[in-house]
Amino acid sequence: MANTGWDEFEIGAMLRTFEGSVDNIAGTLQEDRNYTQNSSFSANVSDWRIIKPVFNKDYCIDCQFCWIYCPDISIIARDKKMVGVDMDHCKGCGICVEVCPTNPKSLLMFDEHIDEEVALAGWPTKEGKK
Amino acid sequence: MLEIRWHSRAGQGAVTGAKGLADVISTTGKHVQAFAFYGSAKRGAAMTAYNRVADKMIMNHEKYMEPDFVFVIDPALVYTSDVTINAKADTKYIITTHLTKEELVKSQPKLEGKEVHTVDCIKIAQETIGRPIPNTPMLGAFMKISGMYDIEFFKESMVRILGKLPQKIIDANMIAIQRAYDEVK
Amino acid sequence: MAFDKMELRDIEVWDGNFAAAQALRQCQIDVVAAYPITPSTPIVEGYAKFLADGYVEGEFVMVESEHAAMSGCIGASAAGGRVATATSSQGYALMVETLYQASGMRLPIILNVVNRALASPLNVNGDHSDMYLGRDSGWIQLNAYCPQDAYDLNFIAFKVAENHEVRLPCMVHQDGFMTSHTAQGVKTLTDDAAYGFVGDFKAMNDMLDFEHPVTHGVQTEEDWHFEHKARQHSDLMTKVMPKIQDAFDAFEKLSGRKYNIVEKYDIDDADVCVVCMGTSVETAREVATEMRAKGIKAGVVGLRVIRPFPFFEIQEALKGVKAIATLDRSSPNGAPGMLFNEVAGCLFNLDKRPLLSGKIYGLGGRDLTKKHLVDLYTELQANVDAGKVTTQLQQFIGVRGPKLSFL
Repeated sequence: MANTGWDEFEIGAMLRTFEGSVDNIAGTLQEDRNYTQNSSFSANVSDWRIIKPVFNKDYCIDCQFCWIYCPDISIIARDKKMVGVDMDHCKGCGICVEVCPTNPKSLLMFDEHIDEEVALAGWPTKEGKK
Repeated sequence: MLEIRWHSRAGQGAVTGAKGLADVISTTGKHVQAFAFYGSAKRGAAMTAYNRVADKMIMNHEKYMEPDFVFVIDPALVYTSDVTINAKADTKYIITTHLTKEELVKSQPKLEGKEVHTVDCIKIAQETIGRPIPNTPMLGAFMKISGMYDIEFFKESMVRILGKLPQKIIDANMIAIQRAYDEVK
Repeated sequence: MAFDKMELRDIEVWDGNFAAAQALRQCQIDVVAAYPITPSTPIVEGYAKFLADGYVEGEFVMVESEHAAMSGCIGASAAGGRVATATSSQGYALMVETLYQASGMRLPIILNVVNRALASPLNVNGDHSDMYLGRDSGWIQLNAYCPQDAYDLNFIAFKVAENHEVRLPCMVHQDGFMTSHTAQGVKTLTDDAAYGFVGDFKAMNDMLDFEHPVTHGVQTEEDWHFEHKARQHSDLMTKVMPKIQDAFDAFEKLSGRKYNIVEKYDIDDADVCVVCMGTSVETAREVATEMRAKGIKAGVVGLRVIRPFPFFEIQEALKGVKAIATLDRSSPNGAPGMLFNEVAGCLFNLDKRPLLSGKIYGLGGRDLTKKHLVDLYTELQANVDAGKVTTQLQQFIGVRGPKLSFL
């Protein structure tokens, strides 16, 4: 792509989202869609992260706040249940943690190199009233 | 090439008259042009409209014209604008006025020695159409003076051009055209 | 079809605006987004009336500015409709930002530009200032000299712009008032013949094609922007002219009316000639013929296509002429003038170069009289006789006050 010449683009600087024809796209999961290289879904930006969100399903109430607020559509929800974070596209901004209303939070930021098991093992307990 | 200059006030229908005349003439196979000078014109402001008629395609788009005919459809314009500007020695004038030709020439000495015809298009329009829109009567007078077309052919053509107007208004215009044709001196 | 057809006479007496409005009706435009401005308003008003009266199946979108008008057109065109609008002068100036968007997005919008002066001072009359403002905007620009051209060139414009090898927006220029408000005989096409010529709209990368979702109006930075602009320029330079010629040929077959990329008049054996645009081309033709009766071999070159600029066609037309004057109807404001520069560029590498001078004329609707042109041809003949340009290279024609000339 980086070496594409002027005569190799489709005209109009328009970008196609999918290879070929699509049908019932709303009913097709992202991972099952045939995205083109032009789609940001095909681009992995995980190396942009310095800190990462870890999801602890024990405290999650499926309020969907994180899903709504995530600026990169990186919260994976299935049947209105939070199932995790799309780590290929999460940039580690921490907004999901910020908006999480549970006590303790169901999402917390950790250094990128911390193992998930270690993070979950050290999860804080419920904070008392101050 | 036949060239006509209209002196009018914005709102009196000189543009419509010039375009209507062009339309009629066009149906007889001649080439026509109709245009006007517009400023940021308001209703009542003096303005001029123009016709060119020729046997071959008209390519001249200059606004400058030495007219063969000058139509004045508002009586005051004879005094407030120069209706003789860029005229030729044999330019014919058809002027709306309630005055006789002699009284008119006396009141505007620039018309001395010119071929001047008079007709009161304003009065005719008031009495027939009910509004002082003197454009169609002027064309009736022009048919008489120029002998361009048979008046019945001209009226039939104007019925088509006025097509969208109510029948009553079209009928009144026909009477106005005929009266001007009969009354022009 | 859910609209009525209109019976037209073979020759109608129409002004340029109404001729363009009729062409938009016959092309069955899907969307017109428009904002009114003198002298172009009657074009979109005409379309709106045809729509209201059931002669067109489409949408008229009233917007709050010309910027919004072209933005609406861009959206409708990207969505996959046949789209047109009209503007003039200040409205055109406000549209400029979106003109570049339309051409970069390769959307075949047709813009009728009724050419008018640019303020200040405010002036509603015709000159080519607005036309010149958009000449680098990546649009195709066609030039009408009279109401007949304004009618015909709209069909040509759709035919060329919508071709999938072209896919570029196209302007049809006509002179404010001198064409737009001047009624002349216009030979018409029947509704079926006109629509048959432009054909059904064939969508390309349209946003309403849900099986092939696309993103329009993307951002490219220094990594890819240059390539896209290069592609657009390349297509303008190589693909557009052949399609315009094809459309002219097809239109001649249909109507008998012949258009040329460069309109040459009495140029083959001409010693002197003028290069100009708009109504002036026709007036100059009439004067050229009169000059020949006086023994001056005069010709006229009119630009029918302004962009892409017909470099080789102009060079070919002018190479045998001895003295040429370009007529620019826009204040060059500190330069020799667009036509002077473009024509000079065409001629510069010839072995034998004609004598070239430039005239600035007709600003704000100032009349170009036949006498001006007689004097001009006489002056060009004097240049031929002297073997050099006897005046300064740039002169103003028809301006009051002391003679104004430069360079």
